[in-house]
Amino acid sequence: MTLESIFSKSRPDVSGSAIFDTDFPTGDDWRNWFEADDIRDEQVGLPEFSEVDVVRHFTNLSQEAHGVDNGPYPLGSCTMKYNPKRNDKLAILDGFAKVHPHQPVDTMSGIWESLLNFQNDIAEVTGMDAVTLQPAAGAHGEFTGLLVIKKYFEQLGQDRKVILIPDTAHGTNPASAAMCGFHCKIIPTNQRGLMDLESFEEHLNDDVAGLMITNPSTLGLFEENIETIAQKIHENGSLLYYDGANLNAIMGLIRPGDMGFDVIHINTHKTLSTPHGGGGPGAGPCGVKAFLEPYLPVPVIREIDGKATPDFDRPDSVGKVKTFFGHIEVLLRAYCYIRANGPDGLKTATENAVLNANYIKHQLSDLLPALFEQNCMHECLLHGGSLEVKGSDFVKRLIDFGVHPPTLVGAGCVHFAKEFDEAMLIEPTETESKASLDFIIEQFRRVASEAKVAPYMIETAPHNALTAKIIHNEAAWMSVYEDDDQP
Amino acid sequence: MSSGILTGYNVHTEEDRNQMLASMGKSTISDLFTEVPDHLRLKTPLNLPPAMSEWELERHLRALASKNATTLDHLSFLGGGAYEHYVPATVDAIASRGEFLTAYTPYQPEMAQGILRFLYDFQSVVGKLLGLPAVNCSVYDCATALAESAWMTCRITGNHRLAIAEGLWPEYRKVLEVYLKGRAVELITIPSDPKTGQIDEGALESILSEQKPGAVIHQTPNRSGVVERMSRIGELCKANDSLHVVASYPMLFGLMKNPGDCGVDIAVSEGQSLGLQLNAGGPYLGIIATREEYEMHLPGRIVGQCSDLKGEEALALVKEEREQHVARHEATSHICSNQANLALRALIYLCTVGEHGFQRIAELCTRKAHYLQSKLCELDGVKPVVSGPFFNEFLIELPRPASEVLNALREKQIFGGIPYNQLLEDAPENQLLIAVTETKSKADLDQAIKAFASSL
Repeated sequence: MTLESIFSKSRPDVSGSAIFDTDFPTGDDWRNWFEADDIRDEQVGLPEFSEVDVVRHFTNLSQEAHGVDNGPYPLGSCTMKYNPKRNDKLAILDGFAKVHPHQPVDTMSGIWESLLNFQNDIAEVTGMDAVTLQPAAGAHGEFTGLLVIKKYFEQLGQDRKVILIPDTAHGTNPASAAMCGFHCKIIPTNQRGLMDLESFEEHLNDDVAGLMITNPSTLGLFEENIETIAQKIHENGSLLYYDGANLNAIMGLIRPGDMGFDVIHINTHKTLSTPHGGGGPGAGPCGVKAFLEPYLPVPVIREIDGKATPDFDRPDSVGKVKTFFGHIEVLLRAYCYIRANGPDGLKTATENAVLNANYIKHQLSDLLPALFEQNCMHECLLHGGSLEVKGSDFVKRLIDFGVHPPTLVGAGCVHFAKEFDEAMLIEPTETESKASLDFIIEQFRRVASEAKVAPYMIETAPHNALTAKIIHNEAAWMSVYEDDDQP
Repeated sequence: MSSGILTGYNVHTEEDRNQMLASMGKSTISDLFTEVPDHLRLKTPLNLPPAMSEWELERHLRALASKNATTLDHLSFLGGGAYEHYVPATVDAIASRGEFLTAYTPYQPEMAQGILRFLYDFQSVVGKLLGLPAVNCSVYDCATALAESAWMTCRITGNHRLAIAEGLWPEYRKVLEVYLKGRAVELITIPSDPKTGQIDEGALESILSEQKPGAVIHQTPNRSGVVERMSRIGELCKANDSLHVVASYPMLFGLMKNPGDCGVDIAVSEGQSLGLQLNAGGPYLGIIATREEYEMHLPGRIVGQCSDLKGEEALALVKEEREQHVARHEATSHICSNQANLALRALIYLCTVGEHGFQRIAELCTRKAHYLQSKLCELDGVKPVVSGPFFNEFLIELPRPASEVLNALREKQIFGGIPYNQLLEDAPENQLLIAVTETKSKADLDQAIKAFASSL
C-alpha cells in the first residue's frame, strides 16, 4: 500500500494545514505586479492531503524503514551506532532553531559560544590546533582540507598536483581530490592489509602534495607504520591528511595530531553519534595544524576580547565552502555527545567499539575467518569464501532475522581492492551490548547452517522483508517521474 | 563499570567486558591495541570537561540557547537566502521518528523501502515544482547545488566558460568560485541593469554571441529581490546554444511559471523555505533538477523504480556508476551524505500545504511584502532602489545609514532587514533589504511601519 505513488493518494480540495489570513484576502490584483507572460497559468501539480492522511502515510512509510532504533546495524565503515535522544531534544531548542543567520552578530552569542566550545573540543580530541565547523559532511570536510593543502603550496610557490591515496580508501577521497584539481595516484595494499610502503616510496616525488589515509583503515586495521609514513611525507615537503571516518576506533586513546597528521576531517555521525537521517544531513569538521590555520574557510569562530565571535577578516583563507556557518543543528548534537561523555566516557566508548569488533571476529572465526590475523580495531573484515553461497546472497538472509547486512563490495560506501571480493566488513559499534552481539553472531551461524542444507532459501532471500530481493536489471531502473502519476 | 561514571551511553558492565576478553584469551583491553605503538597512546585523559549528567547537559544547552535572540522574541524581516516560513507541526513530528532519523543511506533496498519511497516522492514532487523531471536526493545547500550545476554544464558541453549573473547572492558566487577553483573554469560576469535590477539583456546578448559561454547562470529573485525574466533569458540562451541554469526561491513558483516552463536546463533551489527551521544557517537543503537527458551528469544519490524477484515494483538507488563509491576520481561529484532527512521535511511540507496551500502561501508572501514596501515608500526619503518586479523581498533606500535605522528598530524588538552593504561590500550604506513571509500579520506590518517612521 505504501509503495503507491504519493500522487495516487492525493485528494484535491483538502489541505493538511490551516492557511489563511483574513486581512489579506485572495484576489487577482497581485498579477499586476508581474509580467503577465511570467505568471503561472497551470497548477503546480502538488499532491493534496488532509492532516491525518499525511500523518498516516508517512507513519506507514516509517514502518518500512530500518534505523538503529529498530535493531542492530553492523554496516562496516558506515558506523551505525545509537543516537542519544537527549541530543536530538537539545539541538532543536527554540533558542537555536529560531535564529536567523543574518541576525546581528551580537544577538547570537550563544551560537558562537557553542561553536567555539565545540571547535576546542574537536581540537583536543584530534590533537589539532585549529578547527572549522563549516563543512556539511565528511566528503565536504575532505574538500575543505584539500583546498587548504592546495592553498598552502600555492603560497609556497610550489606546483604540486598529486595526492596519494591507498586503494582501500573511501571513494570520496579520490573524488574530493579530483574536485580540487589534484591527480590521484593509488597505492596498493600489502598482504597484511596495510599500505604498501615500497610502492608509497616509489611514488614520492616533488609532485606530491599529500597522502590521504584513513587510520584505522577501511579494513579495520591500524596502520602500524604511520610514524614512518609521516616522516617520509614530511621529508618530501608534502602533507599528511587524515580521513577521520574511523576516528571512533581511537578517540580518547590516540590522536591524529600526535601521529603526524597535518589536516584532518571527522564525520560527526560516525564519531560523535549524530543521526544518519537516511543519508544526511551530516557535518564534517576539518582540523589543521597551526601553520595551516590562515587558510581555513571564512568565518572561523575565535575568542575576541573574551567573547566568541565569527572572524571574517581572513585574507589568506581558501574562501567560502558553503553558505553561513555550517550545519548548526547537527554540530550541537555532536557537542552534546562530547559533553555528556566527558574524557572517560569517550575513552570507554572507543574501547567498547574495538572490543565488540574483535569479539565478533573471534566468535565467527571458524565460519568466516578474518582476512588479517592481527587485532582489528572498530570493524573486522571476514572472508566469506568458504560459504556454500555467495556472500551477497548470504547477507540478504540476515535481513529475515532482523540484522542489517554488513558491508560488501558495492553494498556500501567502502571500496575494497579486488582481492577482497567475497569479504564482509562488520562494524557492530560500541553501542551493541554483549547480548546484542551474541544475537548477531547467532544469526550469522543460523544462515551459515542453512547454506549447507537449503542454499535456495538464501539465494532467494529475503523472505520476510518489505520487498523480495531486488533485481539488478538496469533496464528496469526508472528514476524520472512520469506525468501520468498526476492525479 | 569501567569508567566509573554511568554516562547512559556505554553498554557493557565490567563483567561483560571481562567475559568477552576472556573468550578471546585476552586479559585487558590494552591487549587489543598491541598494533598501536605504545608511545602514541595517550598517557593522560583528554583535556575536556568531565561528563555531564542529563540534567546538567540540558541546563548547559538551555543556557547557551537563551543567549540568542530569536524570531519568536523579535519581529524579523530578515531574508537574504533564509526565510521564516511557518513549519507545520506534521513536519517535526514525522521527520523526527526514529525509523527515519536513525536509518542509513538505503544501500539495502529490501529493508529501506520507506526511505526510498520518500526520496523517490521527493524527486517527483520537486520535479513538478521546478518543471524538470530528473532530480537527485539533494545536496548540501543552494550554493553547493549551484556549484555542482556549474560543473555539470562543463561536463555536458565541454565548454569551461560560464556567464554568471551579477545578481547572485554574493555568498553563492563565493562558493561557486571556490568549487571551480581547481578546474580551470573561466567566469564572465553578466551585469545587471541598474534601473530595473534585472539582468541587462543587451549585455547578456553580446556576451552570448561574442564570448560563447557554455552556460548562463543566474538567480531569481536575485540579490536585490527582483524577479528575473527567466523565459526571456531562456530564449537568449537557446538562440546561442548555451545551457541555462537558474537558482530559485521555490516559493516563487506558487505564482510564477517554473523553470521547466521557461526552458531552463538545470534548476537549483534552497529548500530551507519548505519546512526547515532557520537553525542559524544550517543544515539547509540543496535541490537540483534537470532534463532527463542530463540525468547521468547529476551529483549524488538517485532513487529509481525497479522490480523484485516476484516481479513486484520496488525502489532502489540507481545509476550509481556516476557516484564516488563506484567512479572514484571520475565521479560527477564527491557527495556521499546528502540532506535526506531534510528532503523528507520538504516532502512532508509540500504534502501538508498541498497545491492550494502552496499557492496561497506564495500569494500571502507577495501581498504582505508589497503592502509593506508601498507603505514604507510613503515615508519621507524612502524609495525603491530598483524598479523590477519583486516577490517577498525588496531593496529600499533610506534617508539615513541602514545600520542606524536598524539599531533604533532593535530597541523595539524588530529585526528590520539586512543592511545591503553587509551582503555586498561596495553597496551604499543607506540601502536595506527587507523580507516578508506569510508569518507576519497586518498588525505586525503596521507596527513595523510605525517603528520605521519614528526611526528615520
